[in-house]
Amino acid sequence: MEEKKAVPSFDKLIVASSPHIRAAETVDRLMWQVIIALIPAAAVSVYFFGIRSLVLMLVGVASAVLTEALVQKALKKEITIADGSAALTGLLLAFNVPANAPWWMVAVGAAFAIAVVKQTFGGLGANFVNPALAARAFMLAAWPQHMTGRFPVPLDSITAATPLAILKGTATGTLPSYLDLFIGNVGGVLGETSALALLVGGAYLIWQKVIDWRTPAGFIGTVALLTWIFGGKGGLFTGDPLYHVLAGGLILGAFFMATDYVTSPITPKGRLIFGIGCGFITVLIRLWGGYPEGVSYSILLMNLVVPFLDRWTLPRVYGVTRARA
Amino acid sequence: MNMLRTFYNGIVPENPTLRLVIGMCPVLAVTTAVVNSVWMGLAVIFVLTASNILISLLRKFIPDKIRIPCFIVVIATFTTIADLVLAAVQPDVHKILGVFVPLIVVNCIILGRAEAFASKNPVHLALADGVGMGIGFTLAIMILASIREILGNGSWFGIRFMPAGFEPATVMILPPGAFVSLGFLLGTMNLITARLAARNSRSTERVPSHAADAGLEG
Amino acid sequence: MELRTFVGGVHPAPSKERTAGSPIQAAPLPRRVVIPLAQGGAPCDPLVNKGDAVLVGQKIGESKAFVSAPVHASISGKVVGIETCLLPTGREAPAVIIEGDGTDTWIDSTGRKLEELSPESLKALIREAGLVGMGGAMFPTHVKVSPPPGKSFDSVIINGAECEPFLTCDQRLMVEEPEKIILGLKAWLKVTGAKRGYIGIENNKPEAISALKRAAADEKDIEVVPLRTKYPQGSEKQLIKAILGREVPSGGLPVDAGALVQNVGTTYALATALETGRPLVERVVTVTGTPVKNPQNLRVRIGTLVSDLLSYCGVEGEVGKIISGGPMMGIALPTADVPVIKGTSGILLLTIEEATTLPERACIRCGRCVDACPIGLIPTFLDQFCRKEMWDLAEDYHVQDCIECGSCAYVCPSKRHLVPALRLGKAEVLARRRRK
Ligand code: SF4
Ligand code: SF4
Repeated sequence: MEEKKAVPSFDKLIVASSPHIRAAETVDRLMWQVIIALIPAAAVSVYFFGIRSLVLMLVGVASAVLTEALVQKALKKEITIADGSAALTGLLLAFNVPANAPWWMVAVGAAFAIAVVKQTFGGLGANFVNPALAARAFMLAAWPQHMTGRFPVPLDSITAATPLAILKGTATGTLPSYLDLFIGNVGGVLGETSALALLVGGAYLIWQKVIDWRTPAGFIGTVALLTWIFGGKGGLFTGDPLYHVLAGGLILGAFFMATDYVTSPITPKGRLIFGIGCGFITVLIRLWGGYPEGVSYSILLMNLVVPFLDRWTLPRVYGVTRARA
Repeated sequence: MNMLRTFYNGIVPENPTLRLVIGMCPVLAVTTAVVNSVWMGLAVIFVLTASNILISLLRKFIPDKIRIPCFIVVIATFTTIADLVLAAVQPDVHKILGVFVPLIVVNCIILGRAEAFASKNPVHLALADGVGMGIGFTLAIMILASIREILGNGSWFGIRFMPAGFEPATVMILPPGAFVSLGFLLGTMNLITARLAARNSRSTERVPSHAADAGLEG
Repeated sequence: MELRTFVGGVHPAPSKERTAGSPIQAAPLPRRVVIPLAQGGAPCDPLVNKGDAVLVGQKIGESKAFVSAPVHASISGKVVGIETCLLPTGREAPAVIIEGDGTDTWIDSTGRKLEELSPESLKALIREAGLVGMGGAMFPTHVKVSPPPGKSFDSVIINGAECEPFLTCDQRLMVEEPEKIILGLKAWLKVTGAKRGYIGIENNKPEAISALKRAAADEKDIEVVPLRTKYPQGSEKQLIKAILGREVPSGGLPVDAGALVQNVGTTYALATALETGRPLVERVVTVTGTPVKNPQNLRVRIGTLVSDLLSYCGVEGEVGKIISGGPMMGIALPTADVPVIKGTSGILLLTIEEATTLPERACIRCGRCVDACPIGLIPTFLDQFCRKEMWDLAEDYHVQDCIECGSCAYVCPSKRHLVPALRLGKAEVLARRRRK
């Protein structure tokens, strides 16, 4: 070359495998997005159930985060509480208790979710059931007196049976109107009452491509269809699907629990089947089972078959015509 | 010395419940209260020791081909004794333990010790093994039962001692509680043994050992 | 019309603005070139000795093996040595080092008319010109255009997708030399006997599309196909699927789908060889990236050192990575003292911040890699199988069909290093198959 310039120094060169650029998405961002999407529901909950609701949520989050840090420290692992996954578990757990639940139960439940359900299996990504839901099942078995029966009524200090229990006929009371169900002016656990707030959050997550629409669509669609066909007292096709969709924890479960990455299928087709399966089991429990509500058990049960769903729904490989073994 | 080591072997290094993980049905079933586990433990210690002694005495006479039926006859005899005695002295506990006392007949620990130890060793060692294994089993189920009773009922040996504000977690005395606590107990045990082994190997590493060089195992 | 494309894929920022509009300039003639003897197929034996004088275009290495392309001197001057050098592919190989005399004297050569040539003589010309796949794979072209017995080509596709971010060398060639691309395509059709020619271009290059449409206006057999802008649109398999709707069978070659895919640069080099008789001694290289002061597309002699190109374009600040090729599939170089070879489409510099990646975390099973994989694999499963050396499972899950495009790793929120694990698994599975 004619004019030889000083060759710049290249002594800090990084040699690493391709690809050399990465999308901006990170685990932390995804988890915090979900937490953001839960804020409307949390706000509605605080409005209807009062400051008690906020306290329970904070206890859940704090206990989950603390447990995660302690376990990781004890096991000499990297401490990853900043990724938001523990905070999310704690929040979802608090969403699953009634407003009159004792705070210590939420704290123990969150610690159980993290220490037993998540960390003993290897931490984020390795647990096979949803930590918040498994902890809910644990609390239900441990302290049924705080998890079932009559729940606080919004803006009031009395308790009442949940709409689903009334619908099922295992409790008496007046059914709230569709509008009350939609905005959340009904009794229930903290996070499940306001369909509106949850739908806003869920729509945000789908819009941000954080969650796949297939799971909630399959879940809610199946519940609506089956309760319409079988849910009525006057024979087939006399059920009230709208009521079944709006009441109880269906929307919370479908958008925020069944879509948990770690415990739902990895293939798109698998996620659709997963949602349908959840809906099916939910309806089985609601209409013919022993409990008025079946969302969380349905998700837990479907969690268990995720490895099979993954295997059955492998995408077709380019250039392979024969079905895979 | 040898007897002592055999005795100790059953309590820690080869604890039937926490190290060998055999005979798990009673471990999960009777650990809802410490009292139950103590009586179950006593019954097992008795059957195990007695059958170990008898089998060791008879080991030269039992034909190899039909040794298992012979062991079972011996074990069944002592189990029946234990069952009847328990029914006589502790009818309430006997009712709670229910089928698990007669089931000692088919408990792997007892048949396993008969097969693996008593039928190959002299009487004094068989005695030490029976008592050691029995106590090992009893301690393990007592620990498990303590965890479950305290958390699940707020009491120990039936005495409620937790503060009044403590609401016991019913789940701990239900089957899931058994599995979860057992898992943690096994995990802790593995952790301790692993740490101990690591420490031991580190201390032996400092001394160059010809056995280790030759790939021999100490 | 619905734009044609394939299933899966990702959308990295194109980052092409800095060079897309800059016309191709000739890089200054290098004083010294390092020409590796293995550039496509089996390594060549040197035809020159230390001290020999050479002219531009003179053949300096050749092999008797069929799967091998000859190499030619790219400057005139004197051979000062034949030494082992580091190649941009990361391997070391012998190379002829030529000290230039600054005169740039060419060998005598004459162009040929495409109409006069039989397919056989055209194939000989391709080999003599030292043509290889210039997208990076560097497979000898005369081999690629010879279908195995019993198979034949019915379509030729010019790969104008240039889906790699940052790179614009193909785009500039299409905009500036559309006639030669069409001539090259006609030559491909002739040598293969294929009926239809296609030029697939991503629709973010409208200039290239219209230039080629204009140039191909009178050609009945040639169709310019705009494609959806999506990575890896320029992968052979994805291109064939998008344009012809056919798939290359697993483990097979594009010819099994009746298709020949050729790179724009190779097509241009073929047209040059036809028109002038001159072999492949230079190529267009995109030199770009944040630390580069004057990013541009340069016409570079093969064997020019990357460090020379960088000092010509200017570098500011500290450089974190030098990548040969694009950011998705290129190779990070350990030094700038490597030559440009026939497959070097770009030299991309990243700053330290750009080159520093977030630490790898555990897979959260989010499924993004599954959605992104253009082949339909489950990258995260394969990653686990390969890291745990579970080769049977890796093979069951088709690790050998991975094209190493990096889409999966690009989208992974946990920043998993999926590609190295899969590359390892691929090599292992293929090696095991061969052993059987
Ligand atoms: S690198 Fe392989 S596994 Fe990953 S997306 Fe590309 S083809 Fe699929
Ligand atoms: S994109 Fe990454 S985190 Fe998501 S499933 Fe694939 S490997 Fe796991």
